[in-house]
Amino acid sequence: MTEWEYHPSPDIDETMSEHLRNFPRQPYMLMYAIRSVVAMLLRGWMRVYHRMRIEGRSNLPSTGSYILVCNHTSHLDTLCMLCSVPLRQIHRTFPAAAADYFFSSLPRSAVSAILINALPFDRKVKGAESLTVCSELLKNEGNVLIIFPEGTRTTTGEMGRFRSGIGRLVVGTDLAVVPCYLDGGTKAWPKGKAFPRPRKLSLRIGKPKRYLHLDKSSESVIAICEDLQNAVAELGSSPK
Amino acid sequence: MTIEAALQSEVFLTYIKIIGGLLVFAGVMITILRISGKNVTGVWNTYRGWLVMVPIVIGTLFLGRAAMIVGVVLLAIFGFKEFARATGLYNDWWMTGLVYLGIILLGVASYVPDPRLGYDGWYGFFMALPAFVVGAILLVPIFRNRAQGQLQKIALAIVGFMYFGWMFSHLGFLANTTYAYGYILYLIFAVEINDIAAFTCGKLFGKHKLRENISPNKTIEGSVGAIIISLGIPWLLWFSFPHFEPWHLVITGLVVGVGGQLGDLVISYIKRDIGIKDMGAVIEGHGGILDRVDSMIFVAPIFFHVIRWIHGIREVPLS
Repeated sequence: MTEWEYHPSPDIDETMSEHLRNFPRQPYMLMYAIRSVVAMLLRGWMRVYHRMRIEGRSNLPSTGSYILVCNHTSHLDTLCMLCSVPLRQIHRTFPAAAADYFFSSLPRSAVSAILINALPFDRKVKGAESLTVCSELLKNEGNVLIIFPEGTRTTTGEMGRFRSGIGRLVVGTDLAVVPCYLDGGTKAWPKGKAFPRPRKLSLRIGKPKRYLHLDKSSESVIAICEDLQNAVAELGSSPK
Repeated sequence: MTIEAALQSEVFLTYIKIIGGLLVFAGVMITILRISGKNVTGVWNTYRGWLVMVPIVIGTLFLGRAAMIVGVVLLAIFGFKEFARATGLYNDWWMTGLVYLGIILLGVASYVPDPRLGYDGWYGFFMALPAFVVGAILLVPIFRNRAQGQLQKIALAIVGFMYFGWMFSHLGFLANTTYAYGYILYLIFAVEINDIAAFTCGKLFGKHKLRENISPNKTIEGSVGAIIISLGIPWLLWFSFPHFEPWHLVITGLVVGVGGQLGDLVISYIKRDIGIKDMGAVIEGHGGILDRVDSMIFVAPIFFHVIRWIHGIREVPLS
């Protein structure tokens, strides 16, 4: 008789708060159900309240993992990006979120982990470690990572400089990076306000870019950052 | 069982006093030990776990029959989920979902009135459910047109449903009995005391291993001590079931004393076979849900049927 093999879940010894904070998270039926329902409601809300428009959806790669990069004006950016990916991919779409803000307390972690499916990104101490987590994630087929390379929300409306993390993540790999530009975020939800206002949002999705041809040097990292920053800015300035 | 009934029930109020008194006593004891310089971190964590669990259990009973049944269904579902995650069955969402559905149906059967007799709790449906749920689980491989590895899956799902679902759900069905407060509170209280007694007697007098390949920390001395204490408990709590004759008390004590420890051993060998220490970490200082309710799963159905054979579950016929 052959022995049965058991495969205990790797997170079996974790408490509830560790379940929420640790990454990668194990799949849970209830979590998936809640997230799916919330994602559908969110799509409706964004369409009606913010009259959200998404252009260039066909630019999203249909196979393989990819990264979405976008300018960061408000929390609405993340929600808008989540609405842009196909609904069946919602559980494999991970917005990189600042661990020091979105995972600072249990209720916040619960919202970030369950509803948003956020990847806790340490932007202060362990940035390199968080990048490793991201690249591990992207090695699996069909995952989507959402990154705001500016690292923080803009207060002036001007787009900030892109940090080097995104460059280091994709340099010399075949990963597709999709630049996006969200218009209207600053007016719809200014930093510091508790609730968003009913202002129009429009998201433009550009053509995917790949950086396989570049060698892993700091010059290429800087070049990638500039290239992506220009691509996003161009989407923002192109005529409507 | 309703809120009004709980407030008027001498049994319910007496149990609150006993349990509250014991918690305060234990808190004072731990504080004294702490002041005298003993390391009480482990005990303190366990005690804090009790401080959270006791109000939840009492509150659920206070809210009445529906809350009690919902509570048992939730415990059964999350208990089974721990088992499914530990064995890897959880990766099969259809199988897991089917067992969840079966457990929810057990709750429904415990809640709805018997369509022919009019009593709360459809006993016939409750007892017949395993045939249908097991049947449904057995059909999954046929629908999938797949044989590879299916025996393990159906076996795990059936054990999961029968043991963690059906056997445990008898506790919820007890809410339909005439002496619901007495039976349920006695059962929960006696089972936990039995656990604590086995642990304490084992620490104090333990020499000979009970089942060294399953649970090396359990001893024959601890086990015997727990059975003796469990035999005494029903006499102290006779007010919970005033209609019992002395020999009923002996049987009741024996069911809890022996059954409780067997339930503990069952979960122990399941964990040992899988190769994990605890079933989860939901309750701080106690481990997973299954680590806490392990004894109850085994005791609840036996207690239920023993009292049903002796007295019937409803003392007063509907006429």
